[in-house]
Amino acid sequence: MKRPLLLAAIGLALLVGFPFIVENPYYIHLAQTIAIYAILLFGLDIVVGYTGQVSLGHAGLFGIGAYTAGVLYMHFHAPLLLTIVCGIGATAAFGAILALPALRVTGPYLAMVTLAFGTIIQILINEVTDVTNGPMGITFSKPVLLGMVLDERAYYWVCSFLLVASLIVVHRLLRSHLGRAFEALRGSPIASDCMGVSVYRYKVYAFVISAGFAGLAGSLYAYSERYISPNTYNFELTVLFLLAIIMGGRKTRSGALLGATIIVMLPKLLDDLALFRYVSVTLAVLVTAGAGLLVARGKTTLARSAIPVAGSVALAVLSFVLTSMTDWRLSIFGLITLLVVYYLQDGIVGYVRQALGWRGHGADDAAQAALLAAPASAVSTSTAGGAGELVAADQVLMQFGGLKALNEVTLHVARGTIHGLIGPNGSGKSTMMNVLTGIYVPTAGAIAFKGQSIVGRTSARIALAGIARTFQNVQLFGEMTALQNVLVGLHHSYRSNLLDVALHLPRFRREEREATARAYALLKFVGLESLAGEEARNLPYGKQRLLEIARALALNPELLLLDEPAAGLTAPDIKELVVIIRKIREHGITLILIEHHMDVVMSVCDVVTVLDFGQKIAEGTPAAVQSDPQVIKAYLGSEAH
Amino acid sequence: MEILTQLIFSGIALGMIYAVIAFGYQLTFATSDTLNFGQGDALMLGALVGLTLVGMGVNYWLMIPIVCVFGAIQGAVVERIGVRPAIRIKSEFGWIMSTIALGIIFKNVAENVWGHDDLKFPSPLPEAPIRLLGANVLPMEILVVVGAVAMMAAVELFNRKTIWGKAVVATFNDREAARLMGINTGLVITFSYALSSMSAALAGVMIAPLTLTGATMGAVLGLKAFAVAIIGGLTSGMGIIVGGIILGIAEKLTGFYLSTGYQDVPGLVLLLIVLAVRPAGLFGKTAIKKV
Repeated sequence: MKRPLLLAAIGLALLVGFPFIVENPYYIHLAQTIAIYAILLFGLDIVVGYTGQVSLGHAGLFGIGAYTAGVLYMHFHAPLLLTIVCGIGATAAFGAILALPALRVTGPYLAMVTLAFGTIIQILINEVTDVTNGPMGITFSKPVLLGMVLDERAYYWVCSFLLVASLIVVHRLLRSHLGRAFEALRGSPIASDCMGVSVYRYKVYAFVISAGFAGLAGSLYAYSERYISPNTYNFELTVLFLLAIIMGGRKTRSGALLGATIIVMLPKLLDDLALFRYVSVTLAVLVTAGAGLLVARGKTTLARSAIPVAGSVALAVLSFVLTSMTDWRLSIFGLITLLVVYYLQDGIVGYVRQALGWRGHGADDAAQAALLAAPASAVSTSTAGGAGELVAADQVLMQFGGLKALNEVTLHVARGTIHGLIGPNGSGKSTMMNVLTGIYVPTAGAIAFKGQSIVGRTSARIALAGIARTFQNVQLFGEMTALQNVLVGLHHSYRSNLLDVALHLPRFRREEREATARAYALLKFVGLESLAGEEARNLPYGKQRLLEIARALALNPELLLLDEPAAGLTAPDIKELVVIIRKIREHGITLILIEHHMDVVMSVCDVVTVLDFGQKIAEGTPAAVQSDPQVIKAYLGSEAH
Repeated sequence: MEILTQLIFSGIALGMIYAVIAFGYQLTFATSDTLNFGQGDALMLGALVGLTLVGMGVNYWLMIPIVCVFGAIQGAVVERIGVRPAIRIKSEFGWIMSTIALGIIFKNVAENVWGHDDLKFPSPLPEAPIRLLGANVLPMEILVVVGAVAMMAAVELFNRKTIWGKAVVATFNDREAARLMGINTGLVITFSYALSSMSAALAGVMIAPLTLTGATMGAVLGLKAFAVAIIGGLTSGMGIIVGGIILGIAEKLTGFYLSTGYQDVPGLVLLLIVLAVRPAGLFGKTAIKKV
């Protein structure tokens, strides 16, 4: 048996056998709560860990789940299974109502908006007394499943089963194309959009899925406590959830489990003063020893390690000064949060992984990919349409305030050619790229691609229509491997839905296999196959540029925009790049090339357009442009007369 | 009609309080792109410290500058402990978590020092209402409006007229360039946090006589002031005053005609709507993203 399978079997046996080992119903109830919180945290991690957004609304969502169950139970005596399903559905719906406006903003805005949402929910639960019974709360009798009354132990098994099911679903989801989309939009929103993965849409998906898990957890919680009241779902609970995710470790399921255990056990710990004194002294000794070791080895300075040492010692001293911890519970949570945010950013699981030097699954996946049968051709061949114009941009005006970055520029690109776009810095070349890919909407003018107007379309839609690009300042998904980066570009090739992914239905398995083989072949095309399992941020600069090209080719583009692909490359790298560019053209893909290396431009381009101060000053064959007096003037300045 | 006028007056007073707190958000957001999620707790601490001082026999007017100094120090502490390290380690949302954590700690400490119950703050002005346009207006409400405007005007004047103020404005505009020009931007950020918490503390002692004072008074105020900052736009001074007044009146009307339980809802709903329709706020400018 493989090691992970063995570990899973042991874990499962412990989970099922727990109520036999510990028979005290109090502890079984605690274990239920941990399982329920863990389900919520799996969901929260999708939003916080993967898409990198802060949600302060998850206590509210948890409350919606609990109250959906409560209301259905109180008014209609609905059975357990029905209330759970409705809990998930209702909470996901509320999540969508919140996500649609809220996810147009990010960072602190989103945090505040979700907080506002949580507050509204709490007020509504309190005020709509006809439905929710208001501050009085709702009392449940023991849950009944298939005619059997569930005691503490049986309900524990129900929760455990759902915990394992959630774990599998979340895990599969996050390792599918959906999970990669979530990670990508965090790594580089602009690049995601330009790979056809709409940032907004996938953020909303992530949030709604996350809300669904919060709903499941909420409805389970209602039956577990057998009493719900509005004040449970408050701000502190939301912060507690976030603390659990960060402290346990983002982007890991084990971190969520650990986090759930900590936040359930910690209040119990604080209630037991003697135990708390013991633990806090141990912690202080450990932190001090650890800091001392690091300072001695020269890995950190005395000043930097002073705060955690002082903090943990203060906590230990505090535990002896105070006679009751209960009143100071929140302050201690606050202190722990501060320490975790600053000194345990990757969480306990992340820290342990780093210390033990474990690799993520990305590297293994890459190794597997090498073994798959290569597809017939890595690069799509674009022959449809034959000759003619692929891009027709007419009189494009792009105005930023008073500045005309593009002043009525007309650019026509013939199919199957390499079209150079040159000009001094600030002449509007990159603006042209951004206009063509929908990042900017032009102030005036018309742009047609394959005869259809693309003005006003989103970047994602333009990308899917067949325009791929690279970026002047590399925009890779840094924490993802080279292979995963290319797989994001292949996102459009998936038709699988959530169900296919969760159950690993044949459709998803086939699509995943095909995409992985294709991605590997694309890496091979640009000569990066040996680095497939390496995180993109760790690649050397020149390789990163090549990886961007491979990722762009994954879109099956008809037009590829390369924004200064040779910048920062060494001479041999540039030679390799020229070969790759020519190979891409042989597949019938049209290229627009922005480049400052004139030898590259002159050797590969069929037509060159020269921009200066947002205006087109010359266009023609490389040789003609090179000898154009206006071009020489723009680059070298005019001779004194 | 009389009732409506009266509701509008008290709505304006409440709105000005929101504007002052929102002003605090603007100050720190402009200098450091961060804001204090514990702003409401800064307000609460200001009010409670003020209450203690008044209880010790300090005159209300003399108490105000002391509370301001306290607020400034509290803000500087938040910046040094909660924000600066997070900016240094480039943690994505570290500062959000740490200012929340500090807010929770402040609130918990306040609960333990001043107790869980709401306290009455003695009014420094007569509590008999004045007749104005046929409505009853509390003298304290007028003081709130005057004090809020004076506070914001003073900071604006400072920024425009003094050399230190110009350093602050330069940091607003371009942090990196200001740093290269020899401005200690770190100090400016600390200063903006001090100013921000100071305005919150001042708002606290101004609103305390009108409401009850207690450890939990800050949370909802801070959140609704954020709604005001968003509705008005995080970059617009005029916006927060207008936004504050709109929200203040909307709340008073909701509280009177619907139920006081729903009083907090309009602001939060307005926040969601504004973000959906115009994320830069009613008066804010939309930023151009650079690639």
